[in-house]
Amino acid sequence: MSAPLPLRLVDVSKSFGGTQVLKPLRLDLAQGEMLALLGPSGCGKTTTLRLIAGFEAPDAGSIVINGRDMTSMPPNKRGLGMVFQNYSLFPHMTVGENVAFGLKMRGVGKAEKTQRVRAMLQMVRLEQMADRHIHQLSGGQQQRIALARALATEPSILLLDEPLGALDKNLREGMQFELRDIQRKLGITSILVTHDQEEALTMSDRVAVMAQGEVVQIGRPTDVYDRPRTRFVSEFLGTANIFGGVVKGATGENCWLVALDLQPQIEGLVASSDALALGQRVTLAVRPEKLMIGPPAPSAIEAWVKDVVFRGAYFAYELTAHGQDRPLFAYSQAREVAVQNGTVGVSWAPGSAVILQESA
Amino acid sequence: MSGPVLMLFAYMALFMLFITLPIAAVVVISFSDSSFIAFPITGLSLKWYRHIVEYQPFVTSLATSIELALASTVLGAVLGVPAALALARSRRALAGVVANLLLAPLSVPAIVLGFALLYFLSALSFGLSFGALLIAHTVAGIPYIVRTVLATYRALPRDLEECASILGATRGQVLWHLTLPMVRPGIFAGGMFAVLTSLDNLPLSFFFGTATTNTLPVVMLSYMENQFDPSIAAISTVQMLIAVSCLFVLDRIYGVERLTAV
Amino acid sequence: MSAQPAYRLAAPNWCLPVLLFMAFFFVIPLAANLLRTQSPGTGPFFYYIKLLTDPYYAGVLWETLKVGLITTFATLLVGYPVAFFMVRFAGRWNALIVFFVIAPLLTSIIMRTFGWRVLLARRGLLNTWLLDWGLISRPQNIADDPIAVYIGLVHVLVPFMVLSIAAVLQGVDVSLEESARMLGAGRLRTFLHVTLPLSMDGIATGCILVFVVTNGSFLTMLLLGGGKIKTLALLIYQQFNTTQDVAFAAAMGNILMLVAAICFALQFHLLRHRGVKT
Repeated sequence: MSAPLPLRLVDVSKSFGGTQVLKPLRLDLAQGEMLALLGPSGCGKTTTLRLIAGFEAPDAGSIVINGRDMTSMPPNKRGLGMVFQNYSLFPHMTVGENVAFGLKMRGVGKAEKTQRVRAMLQMVRLEQMADRHIHQLSGGQQQRIALARALATEPSILLLDEPLGALDKNLREGMQFELRDIQRKLGITSILVTHDQEEALTMSDRVAVMAQGEVVQIGRPTDVYDRPRTRFVSEFLGTANIFGGVVKGATGENCWLVALDLQPQIEGLVASSDALALGQRVTLAVRPEKLMIGPPAPSAIEAWVKDVVFRGAYFAYELTAHGQDRPLFAYSQAREVAVQNGTVGVSWAPGSAVILQESA
Repeated sequence: MSGPVLMLFAYMALFMLFITLPIAAVVVISFSDSSFIAFPITGLSLKWYRHIVEYQPFVTSLATSIELALASTVLGAVLGVPAALALARSRRALAGVVANLLLAPLSVPAIVLGFALLYFLSALSFGLSFGALLIAHTVAGIPYIVRTVLATYRALPRDLEECASILGATRGQVLWHLTLPMVRPGIFAGGMFAVLTSLDNLPLSFFFGTATTNTLPVVMLSYMENQFDPSIAAISTVQMLIAVSCLFVLDRIYGVERLTAV
Repeated sequence: MSAQPAYRLAAPNWCLPVLLFMAFFFVIPLAANLLRTQSPGTGPFFYYIKLLTDPYYAGVLWETLKVGLITTFATLLVGYPVAFFMVRFAGRWNALIVFFVIAPLLTSIIMRTFGWRVLLARRGLLNTWLLDWGLISRPQNIADDPIAVYIGLVHVLVPFMVLSIAAVLQGVDVSLEESARMLGAGRLRTFLHVTLPLSMDGIATGCILVFVVTNGSFLTMLLLGGGKIKTLALLIYQQFNTTQDVAFAAAMGNILMLVAAICFALQFHLLRHRGVKT
């Protein structure tokens, strides 16, 4: 019999004033994993976090932490740690007092408290700051102190509510790695709520994409990115080029030919381990970096180059193809692939296209 | 500086003069050596200060006033602060109604409240006493405290209490270690207003006067109606000095900026 | 699984002690006062009718209204520039100005009113100056003139007006005025079309506050003006002191309460549209 899971949400749902914000949700967390709840605002990710923390009570379902049903337990008895969006550092206390707060509430002895605070500050590389006041710290420093404070009490689960949202872009990237590093080193089970897909992909072991109160897809970052299940997921995580078409037939091992809804009509290939029916309508998604641009060719989609933008690490091409109501995007690192107003042929390898489920 | 702006500055100078002149006049008169209220004064003397110390009603009523102000403010805080904390975050319509009820004494003319309370309390055989005064002044002081605590608490981010809670603090611990320290400026600002209003409150206190229990404003008024001499100036100056020095002491201990930074 | 409330520090029942206190010592006494206007042998509205129809008392009611309106208007005129200065020009002297505006509240109203008596008396400072400057030939007893009451009232009430207006004016972004200037409006028009409308909230709050407090004042009318200004509050005071006619005084008090309630309702209605700051 293995140890109980750090967290199990069993059919947890929540409504606010008549609107169902969270549909019955089932979620299990593995020991030591970092799960990202990713989605646009209003998708229910923050509500889920607050239910786990105990600031709201679910309408139905149960929240089981380490095998114990904590659904009716107040927040101060759940043994969790949380980093808030605005850090929520106590302004009238010093850094050291902030970090020690959780320990103080537990009645930890002075010696042990001091030692633990020092250890935490060392972990976030701010040992010198113990006596400073909060307003003397920079945003990045405040964030690290908030983390130190949350971890000081050795919580069973760490909750992170958009922890990097308030930081500058440069700082954010550095902190993403640092946070992940600390989480891995301590092996602490964590849940990260964010609307930033890059953050979710960088920092997590698993990503749960949420929309309108439910989890639309959950899986490892690479899986969710490469094989999005719905149009929403494909467009929320990065950019996607969407094509509609009808299945014409199979052309080999798990390879299918699809007549695309473009003018003039052209066929594209898609790899799928599922069996597809002839005449079946499908929606394909291809990532911009997988879209290949070359000189116009009969087997390639004819497209006109609307714009070329240099983005530092690559060139982004905005293309228009007949029959496609939205522009296509292709990324390439090569400089001379195409010029503005030129005509190109667009194609992709069969394994680069993904079939989306029709819903959403 | 342009014309209109210059005029504004000149206006401000006149205004400050307007504000301070009566107060300065009283202070000056208190050092007059004549029994007449005349300006400019003919000579300097401390005799009126000696007089008020000898005039028993001034001394006892000053003590009564101070006791009353402090007691009613403390009682008002004990009653009002928890309510303000409960009301500040509530979204129910009832909360708005209750808040307005707690602030209502500000809108009621003190003379009417005093009158009504007098007859009500005596119907309860409460009678004229320090207790009756205490009740009246507490009713008058609660709005000031509730108002400032409401404003201060509303301005605090809600996150902080949730954060303390998830770190393990019980409700009592959150209140003691977090909420009360952060709301303290509001309590003090409101408390200061309540104290000052109580010290100066004539219309309310006037109904509850007895031979033994009287507040300073009431005694001053009856003195003025009978004798019109610089004693009033002297006792007024003393009262002002007490208020100012309290403010000074508070500033030393806490820093008025921090206290009233609502 | 029962629905529990979201996490909140203060439970609603923390309001209970103060509510009981206020119900018992504020609401009930005032309600009882409404019923106190019946004297044996007279109808329930006897005193109200007397107040409204008897020329003397009707005159007092009219005087109360007049004094309230004039004082409010005067305080507004005197106080608005001060508030404007405080918010726009004071800069680091702001604390000093605030101190000057608030400091009078540290002194008793008796002291301030007495001070005006001293300044405006026959041998007072104002007379000395006016004589010295040759503006008058004989000393005037200004302290007993009705104007002294208005001066005294404005002096006491202007801090409230200034603070009410300043609080709202603070929130008026300077860049709004600057935009107007850039669009070609002169100082006066900027003020009339931008600043003034945006500070209406503060003006309304200040005016209602001053009006209500003026209604309840009687000390200024007692010590200044030579008794020539008789308002309702003063009448209550005198009724209580002299005739002890409880029912009559209660009726007068109720009229004052009614006016205060109307003002209070007006303010509540005005502020409700802005997302209340009680």
